[in-house]
Amino acid sequence: MKITLNWLRQYVDFDGSPVELAERLTMLGLEVEGVQKVAGDFDGVVVGQVLSREKVAGSDKLSVNRVADGRGERTIICGAQNHQPGDKVAVILPGFALPLKPGEKEPFVIQERKVFGVVSQGMMCSNKELGLGEDADGIIILPAEANVGQTFAAHLGRTGGDVIFDLEITPNRPDWNSVIGIAREISAVTGNPLKLPEIKLPDAAGHVDEIVAVRVEDAELCPRYTARVIRGVKVGPSPDWLRAALEKVGLRSINNVVDVTNFVMLESGQPLHAFDFHLIAKAASGKPTIVVRPAQEGERFTTLDNQERVLTAQNLLIADGGKGIALAGVMGGANTGIADDTRDVLIESAYFSSVNIRRTSKSLGLRSDSAYRFERGADIGICDWASRRAAQLILETAGGQLVGGVVDTCPQPPEPKALSVRQEKVQQLLGIEISRSEIERMLGSLGLMVARVPQPLDGTMADAPPISVRVPSFRVDLKRDVDLIEEVARLFGVDKIPSTPPRGAIGMNAYDFVHDQLAEARRLLAGLGLNEAQGQTLIDDAKAKLAVIPAAIVPLANPLSSDMNVLRPSLLPGLLDSLQHNLSRKSGDVALFEVGRVFTLVNGHSKEERRIAIALTGRRAATFWSGAERDAKFNVSDLKGMLEEFLEQFGLRGVVYSRRAESTPLFLESATVSLGGKLPLGELGQLLPVLVKKYDLRDAVFLAELNLDTLLARRNPARSFKPLPQFPAIGRDVAMLVPDATTHETVLAAVKQARPANLEGAELFDIFRGKGVPDGQKSMAYAFTYRAADRTLTDAEVNTAHEKVIEQLEKEVGATMRAG
Amino acid sequence: MSLINDIEPLKQDGIAALYAAADLPALEQTKGAWIGPQGKFTALMKQLGTLSKEEKPAAGKAINAAKIELESALAARRDELELKAALPKEPTDFTLPGRRRTLGKLHPLTQVTEDIVRCFRKIGFAVADGPESEDEYHCFDALNTPADHPARDAQDTFYLGTAARPLLRTHTSSVQIRVMKSQPPPIRIIVPGRVYRRDNADATHNPTFHQIEGLYVDKHVTVGDLKGTVEFVFKQLLGDDVKLRFRPHYFSYTEPSFEIDFSNALVKKLGKDWLEIAGCGMVHPQVFENVGYDPEVWTGWAFGFGIERIAMLRYGITDIRLFYENDARFLRQF
Repeated sequence: MKITLNWLRQYVDFDGSPVELAERLTMLGLEVEGVQKVAGDFDGVVVGQVLSREKVAGSDKLSVNRVADGRGERTIICGAQNHQPGDKVAVILPGFALPLKPGEKEPFVIQERKVFGVVSQGMMCSNKELGLGEDADGIIILPAEANVGQTFAAHLGRTGGDVIFDLEITPNRPDWNSVIGIAREISAVTGNPLKLPEIKLPDAAGHVDEIVAVRVEDAELCPRYTARVIRGVKVGPSPDWLRAALEKVGLRSINNVVDVTNFVMLESGQPLHAFDFHLIAKAASGKPTIVVRPAQEGERFTTLDNQERVLTAQNLLIADGGKGIALAGVMGGANTGIADDTRDVLIESAYFSSVNIRRTSKSLGLRSDSAYRFERGADIGICDWASRRAAQLILETAGGQLVGGVVDTCPQPPEPKALSVRQEKVQQLLGIEISRSEIERMLGSLGLMVARVPQPLDGTMADAPPISVRVPSFRVDLKRDVDLIEEVARLFGVDKIPSTPPRGAIGMNAYDFVHDQLAEARRLLAGLGLNEAQGQTLIDDAKAKLAVIPAAIVPLANPLSSDMNVLRPSLLPGLLDSLQHNLSRKSGDVALFEVGRVFTLVNGHSKEERRIAIALTGRRAATFWSGAERDAKFNVSDLKGMLEEFLEQFGLRGVVYSRRAESTPLFLESATVSLGGKLPLGELGQLLPVLVKKYDLRDAVFLAELNLDTLLARRNPARSFKPLPQFPAIGRDVAMLVPDATTHETVLAAVKQARPANLEGAELFDIFRGKGVPDGQKSMAYAFTYRAADRTLTDAEVNTAHEKVIEQLEKEVGATMRAG
Repeated sequence: MSLINDIEPLKQDGIAALYAAADLPALEQTKGAWIGPQGKFTALMKQLGTLSKEEKPAAGKAINAAKIELESALAARRDELELKAALPKEPTDFTLPGRRRTLGKLHPLTQVTEDIVRCFRKIGFAVADGPESEDEYHCFDALNTPADHPARDAQDTFYLGTAARPLLRTHTSSVQIRVMKSQPPPIRIIVPGRVYRRDNADATHNPTFHQIEGLYVDKHVTVGDLKGTVEFVFKQLLGDDVKLRFRPHYFSYTEPSFEIDFSNALVKKLGKDWLEIAGCGMVHPQVFENVGYDPEVWTGWAFGFGIERIAMLRYGITDIRLFYENDARFLRQF
């Protein structure tokens, strides 16, 4: 909300500068987001009179002039030709700036300077220089009656400079959506009195209830409705002060009557509406009747902005006998607005339920200053005051005669509500010492009515009754004791509350340990050379379908765009997007991991799960300048190796990798990862080439994703010491021909079946196809290590055990041992 | 007595010859020429037998000493030549780039989150967590923000078509409720996590972003405690020169509520006096009542702030979207 300094000053005095005021307001919780000086308003420009004009020696055009400025005389060098001694002119004094012209960044500041040896002390201005018009031929010659020495602004009849404050009003303080509300706050903090405008209405003939009736059908949605009528107004442009007041805070001036309703709304916070009285249809009784009723389902109504709206029974309508004439609290109707030929005006000042206004405004997508105020909670107590204030200003600006009295459906607004707070609670919550009388003074300064209580004889706090206040109707936010404590904190000054060093209970939460485990997983993955990514949670459903079946995807009911319309069911689509982003910026070597949550639809519920995912593409190692392997690209073994190292370090044993027989929507070739072939952990594989192309990627892409929740549940990070071997190991290498389809796992299974004594390990060190290996077969070479914990093995012992291994391999795998 | 007089010159010549050998094969040759079976010095030793019984001991002693000298000269020269032979033909260019094993980097948001978590843990906070898909109750109602409350305007919400938890949480404050409902006071937790608001992505907005929430509930907790803890954490995070300012504000789930502004050299460089960084306040008694805590016994404070904002300030990042693009050139900078 915008507010001006001059307007504020009509209700409260404030001694400091605008910047100090902004600071005070901000520290009261009324954050000032901008302070803007306006109009420059011809600062430093005064009415002067040319006393003499002489030629400047050495110049054709310039003249040297003596000019009276009301305080004395000054010398001004001028290039204009259109002035004579005796002319009244606009003089800008040195040190002041000309108004900013469009496109200028820095204002031009006039300085004393020497021209042809003469010091020029200011400048006589043209219209263009003062931003008053395009006329740059010669300086402004003012009428002879202009007062020398008067400020130019005053001469023009314009107000002096003003300051516009842009305030962020928190939704709990609807009373701050008004100049008076803010003035009240300044009054509280400065102690200067709040000066409310005095309203004196002329004695009026007749009574308004003779010419108009009001019927409220739903008093819950409209607890108060007032109507006043002024006859014989002359609708026209607003006077300068009114137009300027509205325009400075960003409202458009419409006409004197409408402007008054807006002015009073900004002044008091009470939204008003003015109807053309004669456009309100007469009821059977012969009197125009205002009916406040729910709209009919599907009822059509055209608002002031000329939009036709289709209403529902949820919308409250102001109607006459037949038609709607205003959308209650939101916007008036096009059919009854004030026009140039309006003669009689009905002023509506009502109070509507905030929830209903909010729903109507939201469902119709129709925001207005009025709806904004009602939905935050208006002041039921101020309806009649605001109506009388508007009547006063309409009579002043548009003339006419007031019809006597008011129609008011709630002449006795509810009593102010009572609240109390104990002094010790104020002290305890804020951590300050503050006296009872100081608290009472503060609450009183905000307009709360503090009840007088007899002081207890011994003056102890515990025996004292709580501080009791009555809350005026404009403070809808004050509901319980803690709200009063906040008022004390604000006026006391939060900056004055002393800080106490951290103390108190030690925190505990089951998740605390999980957090560390996630951090550990991240550190391990980064140690493997992967950079951590953070992807969008919201992704494109088409991409989500790469990872899961459509029925498992959780859609957004109100997405912002089609590329962010579902929750990610997997981290992999996001990582693919990141690969694409990197490739499009010419970095083709990318190794990423992400730790994050994914969402799947299970029985109509969104199920959250933590996952780890890895994506690799491009070259395996950083650029190097030598060696055959330097340009080697990532392949599936790099990914598998990372998973193996990660899982082992993270404390998972018995991990099984099983190749999928078919391609998937994502993978060309892939394997599931599980614990013991039973408990699924995730998957890894190579991205389909068609997707490589679709994502504009260059090299093969390898992806893996694991369920981190399962890893956390099944990991065993406990370590225990195993004594280092005391006796030497004996090695036996085996190279064998096996059928092509033989997997490493089947070889190990056969070795295990042989149950060789003292076998410590079997390590695959070569796979070979080609020369010397028949088609349909491959050569696999393993290094077997035998060792006993308690002695040095003999060759004979090892041979016996190793023979069993070889026999088993020949039998189970169909291996043929290769010589040497 | 010519023999004994020949020993010393012959030894000198031998040592000179050994040192003159330019490489290991030459050294082996020289060795043969002097102390090999046919060597000059060996020949001298063979003459020892021709000497008289009186001359023999002195000459023998001198010859042995000379031989030892020759052998040690040989060993010394061999060491020198072996070292020379081991050096590569071309001297190594130690300015050449090495073969890098690159470490992966943690995402800047992770790093900042960990720093924040570390600060809080120093003063006894535990980390807590909750679901990102939430219900109206935990995200709004229990936090004293019923439907139709204007405070909901600031937090435009994504809704899911799901039954149980039909929206994406707009703040980590929902976890306050879950934790308080699941454990009795006192409480001292922080909650880092993802939150969602229906804002179009631009330089300062992303529909997904991260917050961290702090909640402390105990007996006799005051606004002074809130200020003290916040000051401690932000001094740790942003440096000792940081100045903080608490400004009254409004949040539906705290009362009184404050916004926190900070100021340091960086803020001044941005041409500002203060920069808003967090919201906080004393837990609203209504919230305590909603979770079954007695507000007459327990008081507490909560605060929350955006992690991206801290990271952007710390590293001078000007576009929030960079965090979610995962450009390797970006990730490797932190």
